[in-house]
Amino acid sequence: MQTIIDLANAVFKPVIDLGAAPIMLIVLTLIAWAVGVNFFHALEGGIKLAIAITAIGSVIGLLTTTYQPALNAFVKSTGINLSITDLGWAPLATITWGSPYTLFFLAILVIVNLILLFLNRTNTLDVDIFDIWHLSFTGLLAIYFGANLFIATILVIFIGILKIINSDLMKPTFNDLLDDWENPMTTTHLNYMMNPVIMVFDKLFDKLFPWLDKYDFDAAKLNEKIGFWGSRFAIGIYLGIFIGLISHQSVKSIATLAFMAATCLELFSIIGSWFIAAVEPLSQGVTDFANKRLGGRMLNIGLDWPFLAGRAEIWAAANVLAPIMLLEALILPGNRILPLGGIIAMGVTPALLVVTRGKIIRMIVIGAIELPLFLWAGTLSAPFITHTARALHAPGIPATGLFSSSTKEGPIEQFIAVLVGKASKGEMMMVLYAALALIAYTALFFWYRHEMMKRNQKYSDEGKEVADDVKFVATHGAAGSAD
Amino acid sequence: MTVKILAACGAGVNSSHQIKDAIEKEFKKRGYSVQADAVMVKDVNEDMMKNYDIFTPIAKTDLGFTPAIPVINAGPILYRMPAMAKPVYDKIEGVIKKENLK
Repeated sequence: MQTIIDLANAVFKPVIDLGAAPIMLIVLTLIAWAVGVNFFHALEGGIKLAIAITAIGSVIGLLTTTYQPALNAFVKSTGINLSITDLGWAPLATITWGSPYTLFFLAILVIVNLILLFLNRTNTLDVDIFDIWHLSFTGLLAIYFGANLFIATILVIFIGILKIINSDLMKPTFNDLLDDWENPMTTTHLNYMMNPVIMVFDKLFDKLFPWLDKYDFDAAKLNEKIGFWGSRFAIGIYLGIFIGLISHQSVKSIATLAFMAATCLELFSIIGSWFIAAVEPLSQGVTDFANKRLGGRMLNIGLDWPFLAGRAEIWAAANVLAPIMLLEALILPGNRILPLGGIIAMGVTPALLVVTRGKIIRMIVIGAIELPLFLWAGTLSAPFITHTARALHAPGIPATGLFSSSTKEGPIEQFIAVLVGKASKGEMMMVLYAALALIAYTALFFWYRHEMMKRNQKYSDEGKEVADDVKFVATHGAAGSAD
Repeated sequence: MTVKILAACGAGVNSSHQIKDAIEKEFKKRGYSVQADAVMVKDVNEDMMKNYDIFTPIAKTDLGFTPAIPVINAGPILYRMPAMAKPVYDKIEGVIKKENLK
């Protein structure tokens, strides 16, 4: 055994010592090649991934180095400890894709998806390979807090199965929102795992404040009026000015903060798109692999969430929630993030759209109620994110300070990952908390499933095409038939 | 003449870039000079549209105004199945020919 370990160390240690960028170049190239991608396309993806990891490190360094003194001064002048830099989601995706575990979780989740398809437990083939990073993040978070790989994998599989069930449950609602009952699009995106919590508040709204719905406004008109003032770079400028003024910086420093935030927010998106290009050969290879084994069966296609981005309510709610989140961040006990990169809450509003089906006032009110969960989860995850980013050994990442994202999708899953991680160390109270949290999470999900099946039954009763396994009364004669 | 296409998605990072890359690759094969840009759908406005010949969102999109250029839903490109993407490319090619954009 010792000989095997020594041999493995002799082979792998020099590679591991090279750092995340070269490791991921090698790993991604070999895995994409293994699933049938042409070697040079696989290598192209691997090189792009290495470049993206290197670039994201430099931009994180640029932002945090510029902002850390101002954030420290902000804490001094206000007494409010909001010293965690909010990077938004793109750097977190990059950091997570910089871990070889992400490819392991990807392989596991592809197998889980195929098993569920073969057993007719789902109609969804998930081709959104890039967004696997969300569940990998959850698994890595559990490991950071003490779980072993086995426990983390079980947790990832458990949430992965619920996500796939959810994609089937939401499918008729997507058809309704897109006004297209022929399209095969659905999504397994983690942001929709907030649906059960939102559904609770939506039901309360039904009982207590249904009259508020009559004040719904034209979201598209609001977005048109806001125009570029709501764009990424404009928000970076406002927040730079805001932080600079509150932390008593000079005019020159305020200008630097404003333009640096705008620059970094734009660069995060550009580098994020390099990642998409980097994993594209692998995504195509995995999809081809799955399709070959499904023999041409008609399926729903699991995509990234933005096929709903054409619904104006998503952006109107995000625009209105941005200043609300800033205000909440300032007064929320336990929060240490000052919203910046994540302030356009696109990890929050799509789920609000799906549950409320576009009732904009409900989206804003429920969004404001649930935002603290995102801020707390971001605060809790900051040490893990910072640690993981530093482990990339990408140049530019500063040695001090914490960073995170204010609206990272899946806050509830982050809390559960932390509890599961801590429980894995064997502390009885933590085991109890983790068990209770998992029971509550599962019970809430199945109550939500019941409510969605009621909704889907209504669609079916209205003559819409709805798959049998997401409603109560079967009309197709066999479970598992596609929409 | 280069045909300019505007792709848009939620963050202007993932889906729209997949559409942009796929369209550019396919139309190079078909012998056209096509340049596509990927943006956040919330940033799309009438002024921006003036710089493009065709708009390719993922699905039906409520922009708050009626686009003055042809709109082709490019969602099927994201399914990663060539047979489903082909009708989208054919529609784009149809517009290029009809509007004499080549």
